[in-house]
Amino acid sequence: MLFELKGLEDIKEHYDVLIAGGGPAALGAAVYARRAGLSVLIVEKVLEGGQLNFTTYIDNYLGFPNIEGAELAKRMKEHAESLGTQFLNGSVEKVILDDETRAVVLDDGRTIQAKVLMIATGTDPKRLNVPGESELIGKGISYCATCDGYFFKEKDVVVVGGGDTAINDALYLSKIARSVTVIHRRDKLRAVKILQEKAFQRPNIKFLFDSVVERFVGENKLERVVVKNVKTNETSELHVEGVFVAIGSVPRSDLVKGFVELDENGYIITNEWMETNVPRLYAIGDVRKKNVRQIVTAVADGAIAAVHAAQNYF
Amino acid sequence: MPLLSEKDTKYLKKTFEEHLKDPIQVLVFVDDPSECEYCDLTRQVLEELSSIDGKIQLGVHHVKREPELAEKYRVEMTPAIILLDANGEDTNIRFYGIPSGHEFSTLIQDIIAVSNNKPVFFNEQQVDLIRSISVPVRIRVFVTPTCPYCPKAVLMAHNAALINRNVTAEMIEANEFPELSMKYGVSSVPHTVINDVHEFIGAYPEHMFVQELLKAVRKV
Repeated sequence: MLFELKGLEDIKEHYDVLIAGGGPAALGAAVYARRAGLSVLIVEKVLEGGQLNFTTYIDNYLGFPNIEGAELAKRMKEHAESLGTQFLNGSVEKVILDDETRAVVLDDGRTIQAKVLMIATGTDPKRLNVPGESELIGKGISYCATCDGYFFKEKDVVVVGGGDTAINDALYLSKIARSVTVIHRRDKLRAVKILQEKAFQRPNIKFLFDSVVERFVGENKLERVVVKNVKTNETSELHVEGVFVAIGSVPRSDLVKGFVELDENGYIITNEWMETNVPRLYAIGDVRKKNVRQIVTAVADGAIAAVHAAQNYF
Repeated sequence: MPLLSEKDTKYLKKTFEEHLKDPIQVLVFVDDPSECEYCDLTRQVLEELSSIDGKIQLGVHHVKREPELAEKYRVEMTPAIILLDANGEDTNIRFYGIPSGHEFSTLIQDIIAVSNNKPVFFNEQQVDLIRSISVPVRIRVFVTPTCPYCPKAVLMAHNAALINRNVTAEMIEANEFPELSMKYGVSSVPHTVINDVHEFIGAYPEHMFVQELLKAVRKV
């Protein structure tokens, strides 16, 4: 298991490279930057490895077939650490740009300077934005199957979504819950074939295609989900105690909003060196506008940014 | 067969050598195996920890055979882990249920924090605010071992207890105590309940945690 001995390390006031966020992109960048001889600080607010920790099994990262997400996260962190990367538990609240430095202000008020800043803050799970959702979060509605799955042991649950995360969640929950109903707005899943096939074979996973959640109903506790079929416009109700929402993600780019170019969905726009429109400010991983959001592409983003920074600014 | 791998043991030995200052007492309260599924495992993992470094002094007690001691430390459920400082004073830091999975690192960090009498979280101003609490406060943080956010919520609550002894902070492994979890409507973790009058879900940043704590105090 991971041992995070936070707050015990000596954090300096200046680094060559400071990375906001600690997922695979950040760890990949750290490895390349450290090997180029640069000092690196990673500021991560929860757990190094980021979303990897929430993934039960990963089967598409080369060289690590069928590895637990948390285990891969741990190995990546240890790798970056073994090369001398420093870690700080906290969150970056503000970015300050001047000619020479890219400084950040942390949630504890501390300011840390860097020559190069990389934004690797990733994404948050997207909400459905339907009535009843915000009131029932934590009262039956969850965005983390690995965290909360066991509260629904032998119960009936719903997964909303049709992508890799949704189907992974459904597979995980099908081993705990009595039944899992996947609600997806289209007539077929978006998840990769291998996951789809696994899910279709599980007897306790059911599918409601062409369907969307209209609202959630419950007093202090989720009781029912009202579902609408988008083709027939008919509504129906599901009596379940748990709903796991996995309908995609929204970028955590607020930190640089206003001075860094974002696309219409809030993803940070970069060139092929991962540079934003601000020199010495890079964006790497899921927070960046890109076509494929995978561990392997996140790690690659980090490597590219670090190589570019090392060649141009040091 | 030890519970901790050789590699982790080596890592912990080095970590404890570097970071432990004063000795710390760890009390583990157990019940009969028929009453408590995880008591034996909890005792075993703590025995292994204490054998790694002499500064971690372990006392294992049975709630039914030593009821007075259990009462003295207000043990309500088993397994319970209670940390005492170098003077044998109760820090009011508690774990109910086995600290496994992600929570194992919380226990390690708690041991180091108590040994140094130094919290990991909170700046000076926040420490002063926590110190200003003059009524008894009980923070209960419900967790699952598979929740990556939970250690932060637990450690923050435990740190508050370390700063002010009016604060008692408990980790509660939700799966092991389903009735209590149901009573508080826990279905997403971390779920924090303060003095039964205030609750919030999620791992909050430090300043927000302090605000929530003070809100709860005002409600008392």
